[in-house]
Amino acid sequence: MTDRRTPALRASGLAKSFGHVQALRQGELTVHAGEVVALVGDNGAGKSTLISCVSGALLPDAGEVSVDGRPMPLGSIRAAMEHGIATVYQGLAMAPDLSVAENLFLSCELRRPGLLGRLGLLDKKAMRERAWQLMDGLGITTLQDVTLPVGDLSGGQRQVVAVARAVSRAGRLVIMDEPTAALGARQSQMVIETIKATRDRGLGVVLISHDLPRVLEVADRIVIMRLGRVVADLAASGLKIGQIVALMLGERDNDREEGLPA
Amino acid sequence: MTTLRIPARSRLGGLARSTPAYITVALVALVVIFSLISPEWRFLDATNLQAIGRNSAGLVLLAVGLTFVLGAGHIDLSVGATLVLSSVVAGTVAVRLAGEPSASGTFPNAGLAIVIAALAAVVVGGVAGLINGVLVTRLKVNSFVVTLGTMGVATGAAQVLTNGANVAGIPPAVQTSFGLNTVAGIPLPLVLAVVVSLLAGVVLTQTSAGRHALAIGSSADGAMRAGVNVQRSTIVVFVIAGLMAGLAGFLDISRFGTTAISGHSTTMLQALSAVIIGGTSLFGGRASVPGSVIATFIPTVLLAGFVMVGVSSFYQNIAIGVVLIIAVWLDQMRGK
Repeated sequence: MTDRRTPALRASGLAKSFGHVQALRQGELTVHAGEVVALVGDNGAGKSTLISCVSGALLPDAGEVSVDGRPMPLGSIRAAMEHGIATVYQGLAMAPDLSVAENLFLSCELRRPGLLGRLGLLDKKAMRERAWQLMDGLGITTLQDVTLPVGDLSGGQRQVVAVARAVSRAGRLVIMDEPTAALGARQSQMVIETIKATRDRGLGVVLISHDLPRVLEVADRIVIMRLGRVVADLAASGLKIGQIVALMLGERDNDREEGLPA
Repeated sequence: MTTLRIPARSRLGGLARSTPAYITVALVALVVIFSLISPEWRFLDATNLQAIGRNSAGLVLLAVGLTFVLGAGHIDLSVGATLVLSSVVAGTVAVRLAGEPSASGTFPNAGLAIVIAALAAVVVGGVAGLINGVLVTRLKVNSFVVTLGTMGVATGAAQVLTNGANVAGIPPAVQTSFGLNTVAGIPLPLVLAVVVSLLAGVVLTQTSAGRHALAIGSSADGAMRAGVNVQRSTIVVFVIAGLMAGLAGFLDISRFGTTAISGHSTTMLQALSAVIIGGTSLFGGRASVPGSVIATFIPTVLLAGFVMVGVSSFYQNIAIGVVLIIAVWLDQMRGK
């Protein structure tokens, strides 16, 4: 299972503390183009901290991240975006008063052609049309109107918009933190299909999820974290849920007493 | 998880939902009522309407500036004080540059002095806004507190500059050629205010700067994660409010021919009321420049109307207070 290609993403030695809490001790993550890597672990294992360091939302205390072999500046969402990393955050990252189209293009607005564009005027029509194409291209059909404020959408629809935005922006890697957490079965399946479509476009995908059956359905590799460390990095094929759970919780009983709910 | 709720959104429906439409109806109704009950339709006299326009111009600018700040989820309590400080600096600059008046009372450099005074007012306003924006973003102190502080600083600075006295000896040309002048019967200051408001409306609805301001007001965290430079966008809205206050400060001396240091204790609250009546959310995310501009005329029309029909002008404050509460109540009933 060794892959000699330069990985789309390589994160190594990432560490982050919040006061006395060492949320992340040893964060390692490698993702190749066209690969879905699932990041699993119990609550507090350091998954969200690890991907926040990769997405630029957090500045790690130590470690490095490189994209296509080139080192990426840390602690800047903007820099991560420019390196082709886009993230779907747990709890989303939408402006509820803005429309679907406005949120899809937020901070990446299209301008009008010519002089008006150089004066800073936005091309709202083009953004609405591109928003339609984007949703359509991802097979998202539950949304009738891209001019609706995101605050008027259901939780599932908001999630779909968030995923669409990340996919449309990512040049190399899409990170999804619990993309199906608040969704019903049908909408979860839709997100899973979107992940497969993203992988087929040649992007790397990092998926954080507690939904192990779905994780095994879509992931190529499973990276298991416990107590701020990566404890296993396994090919997904042939893996059993029981094995994953055992690694997540640790084999020894005293680990549970360190604050890990069973 | 909420269920899907798609509001009916025909074009007419959108218009009926929009606050500027309500405000326009209310304003027209006020004008009609005052016209009908004023003796000999005097409310519609050109002089009366021109006075309303002149009295509104500065307030329009303040309200437009505050529209950006409120849209971004912040508040700027210092705009009235910035107006005063700008007018004092502009007045002082005009007096210093205009030279010694001749026997007939004309100043040798009046024209140049007035232009530079106007620039000085705008620069002072812009710097005041920049300071507000930097304090809010860098110190991460709440904008209510920061601007409450800078309100005091700006007021005090204006008083220190002149020892509390209003600036005298400003060339009267500032009034005759600009402040009291009209084009096609419309007061020049109002023309300026409306042109600036139109530009501001384009910035709010048609540029990234405006969209990012509303995104921050809607969810600062969401905007940041979407890649918006929240610090820069926040500073921009405060600078816009400051520039508007600075320009309003210049309009102030062009209207009176002097400064009005103690005449603006309620100006900020009037502008703030207009912005909220005009449909901009006090909590950010939604803002309307046309709404703010139109709503600004409600207090000035009320005042002029009350005076004309013989009601004490003191009732204006009561009326505005009532209108403010009703407007916000109506807004909550309709949306969200």
